[in-house]
Parts: sequence; structure tokens; C-alpha cells
Amino acid sequence: MIELQHVTKIYPTSPRPALDDVSMQIDKGEFVFLIGSSGSGKSTFLRLLLKEDNPTKGVVKVNDKNLGTMSKWQVPKLRRTMGCVFQDFRLLRNKTVAENVAFALEVINKPQRTIKRVVPEVLEMVGLEGKENRLPNELSGGEQQRVAIARAFVNRPLVLLADEPTGNLDPETSQDIMLLLERINRTGTTVVMATHDYHIVDSMRRRVIELNDGVVSRDQSRGVYGVGR
Amino acid sequence: MRVNFVLSEVAAGLRRNLTMTVAMILTTGISLGLMGTGLLIANMIGDMREIYYDKVQVSIYLTDDVSDPQRDAIAAALEGSPEVRNYIYESKAEAYERFTQQFQEQPALIANTPEDALPESFRVELVNPERYEVIAQEFPVGENGVEDVRDEGDFLDRLFSLLNGARNATIAVAVVQALASLLLISNSIQLAAFNRRNETNIMRLVGASRWYTQLPFILEAALAGLIGAGLAIGGLVLTKVLFVDKTLAGPIKAGIIPPVDWSAIAAISPIIAAAGVGLASVAAYVTLRLYVRL
Repeated sequence: MIELQHVTKIYPTSPRPALDDVSMQIDKGEFVFLIGSSGSGKSTFLRLLLKEDNPTKGVVKVNDKNLGTMSKWQVPKLRRTMGCVFQDFRLLRNKTVAENVAFALEVINKPQRTIKRVVPEVLEMVGLEGKENRLPNELSGGEQQRVAIARAFVNRPLVLLADEPTGNLDPETSQDIMLLLERINRTGTTVVMATHDYHIVDSMRRRVIELNDGVVSRDQSRGVYGVGR
Repeated sequence: MRVNFVLSEVAAGLRRNLTMTVAMILTTGISLGLMGTGLLIANMIGDMREIYYDKVQVSIYLTDDVSDPQRDAIAAALEGSPEVRNYIYESKAEAYERFTQQFQEQPALIANTPEDALPESFRVELVNPERYEVIAQEFPVGENGVEDVRDEGDFLDRLFSLLNGARNATIAVAVVQALASLLLISNSIQLAAFNRRNETNIMRLVGASRWYTQLPFILEAALAGLIGAGLAIGGLVLTKVLFVDKTLAGPIKAGIIPPVDWSAIAAISPIIAAAGVGLASVAAYVTLRLYVRL
């Protein structure tokens, strides 16, 4: 599903590589926590998976496709198979909940029929039925993140990338969001979540990949956040 | 492609930077208007060449006291010259008649001109218009009743170089103005892209095609270019109706200046529109490629 072979990423502005000879494999349907301090390379990792950036060295494969040999016009196709959730939700403030979710389908040219059918379905799944016509600033942080997850999931991606999705939420709301991500994972979607939240990592007991200065320092199935926290 | 979606994005984009949009439309309009004027002048120069060059190339003006034998001698010489294709004789009366016709809109000028003020002349068409010198040598000024030999082509050349200069200056200003409007378009596309960065970021992440993301911006510029072209064409129409047709009515009627036909404006309008839309779209596309990450 996701494979990195000896991936190194060096940014021209930094003397130290953001990722240094990283190799790993993530299988279909896995739930993976990506942990490590700020600047350890988590965001770079996610950017490479989205082909927002290319590695300096090495091979990145997503859905068995080598991103290095992929031409520019195929990138949108790749991203249609991936969903993204961020710490800051990234909702469109002038669009309602339903419109925010529908936007993701409209811009990839899905027929209006399909949009009318799947948007209410996914909103119900994330627990936002009845709030379709609210604007983002009328919602709590947890609800906004649910909208973002609905938008990321509405096109049924094979992979869901979550960059500190609970970073702005209180512990209780974070738990609810994790339940939702778990539920999405059970539909067969691979979930890769970068996080600093050790409560969550410790309670979920999923695979943990720890990055330290761009190097994989730990890769453990059913892991915990670690003693060094 | 979801037409409604794209169009609503375009409308929102244009509204959001209204001042930039207006500036973009105005500069584009002025630039295209000047370009159109340049094209019209070029057309006019072409028409004028036809009017003038075909008629007369050399005029031989006779003195007031020219004698009949002298006149006949000149006519005979012209008749026999291999350089001359054709010639006509114009008497004082005929010259005056042509004068009154040419300046019929200025009765004061006609009233102040005595009927015998204009010299009689031979109007000569040469086989080769460049061979003026030969005629000038054959009929030395001040001898045999010749008052003056004038190369009308020379005069016309100066007139046309003046008109060509005007055309070139107009087009030069149009080019400078076009450069300004291209920079404005580029700037306002960057602004629009910045304003819509949330949308475009999301579009990028959910896998919208590059076209889908860029098209609203390009259409935005193209629409501004089209409106600019509309203004330019409107400006040309107004110029024709209010200036050319009114102020220049006299010389046009007299055949000195060719009229600006509606057909000429109709002919250059599509060029102006295409130039407006094309330049704006290309500027937008290049800007998106170079400066904006979509």
C-alpha cells in the first residue's frame, strides 16, 4: 500500500536531511501512528506520500505506484485515492458543512446525483446529521474536525493521512475523533496519523513508527508513545 | 466540467478584487483602443495611397504669361517622351473648379481666392514614378513658360511618412500600455490566487485537475480582456461618430481623406477582441505557471 525505500529528503535551506535513508512498508488496512518531536520529519513524510514534494533520493510507492516516475498530470489521480485531515481543519468559512464536503466532490467532477446521495451519508457517519447547513464558525472544534474528516473520506480514499488531527482539541473530543478514525479504518482504509498525543497512542495500541531527526528510531506493532516523553 | 461551479468562481474572483479588475479592464481597453486606432490609420493610409498615387506623379505648372506655342511645345514633348504614360492639361478655369470642389466646405477660402489665382498645369503620369528627375531636366524651371516642376510623389512621400509615423507612435503607445495591462493582469491573478488559496489548496489535496483549478483564474482574465476589448471597440465607434464623421466631414467629402467605414471597424473588432482575450489568458496562464502553486 505504502512503501518507502531508502528515502532521503534534503531541503536546500537546511544542512540536515529532513528524512535520512528511511525505509518502511505500511499494508492495506493498517492504522499507523507516526510520532516524533517537531522537526523529526513527520510532515515531510506526509508531503512525500501526497507528492507535494519529491524525495532527494529513494523510492516512494503508494498503491503500488512509484511516485518518482509518475507524471505531473497523474498526481491529481493519486490524490483522489487519499484523504487528508489537518490540525487546523482547513474548512472553507463561507461554505456550509454540506457545501464543504460537496466541494471535494464537485472539483473532481463527480455527478450532482452522486453528490446529493453521498454527502448526507458521510455526514451521518461522522455524526453531523442535522448540522448540514451550519457554517464552520458556528461549530465546535470537534465538529469542525468531523466536517474535515467527512470531506477527506467522502470519496472513499484508500489512505487517510491525518496530521495531528487532535492537536487543537480537548482530550474528550480527541477520543471521539479517534473513534471516528478507527471506524474509518475498519472500512478497510489505511490510516496514517502523525501525532504528539501520547494518551491516544497509549490507549489505542496500534503500530507506532517513531521518527527522530529524520531517521526511523522505532517501528513497533501495538506500540506505546514511549518512555522518553 | 461543472460550468456553474467555474462561472461562480469567476464571478466571485472578479468581485473580490473589484478595484484591480477595473484597473485591469481600463488599461486593457485603452491599449486595445490604441491598437485599433493604429490599425484604422494603417487602413486609411492604404486607402489614401490609392486615392493619390494613382492620379498624379509630376505636375508642371506654367507661368501666367506662357504663350500658346510654348504650351504646345510642352504638350508635344510630353506626347513624344517615352517616360510619360499619360498626361492631362488643366487650364486656370479647370484648376479653379477643382479647387472650389475640394474646399466646398470652406466658402470663405473660396471667396478669397480670385478665379485666376491658380496656375494652369500639365499633370503627368510617369511610366516609372521614380523617374521624376528626367522630367525635371527636360523642363527647366523658368524657361519656356515653366513656372515650376513639382514631384507630387515627393510631397506624398512626406505626407505618408508623417501618417506612418502617427500610426507607429500610436502602436508604440499601445504596446507600452499593453505591457502595463499585462503586468496588472499578472498582479491581479496573483492576488486572486492568494485570496483563494484555501480553496485551491483543498482542490489540490482532493485531486482536482490542474485545469479545473486554473480555469477560473484564466477565465477571469479572459473576461476582463473581453470587456476591455468591448470598451476599446466602443471607443472607436464613438471616435468615428463624434470626431471623424463630424470634424473631418469636409475633407472626407472632398476626397482628401478617405472615410472611416463601419466595415473597417467591423473588420478590426474581432482582431481587438481576440487580442484582448488571448493576451489576458496567456498572461494569466503564465502567471499561474510561474508564481502560483496550484
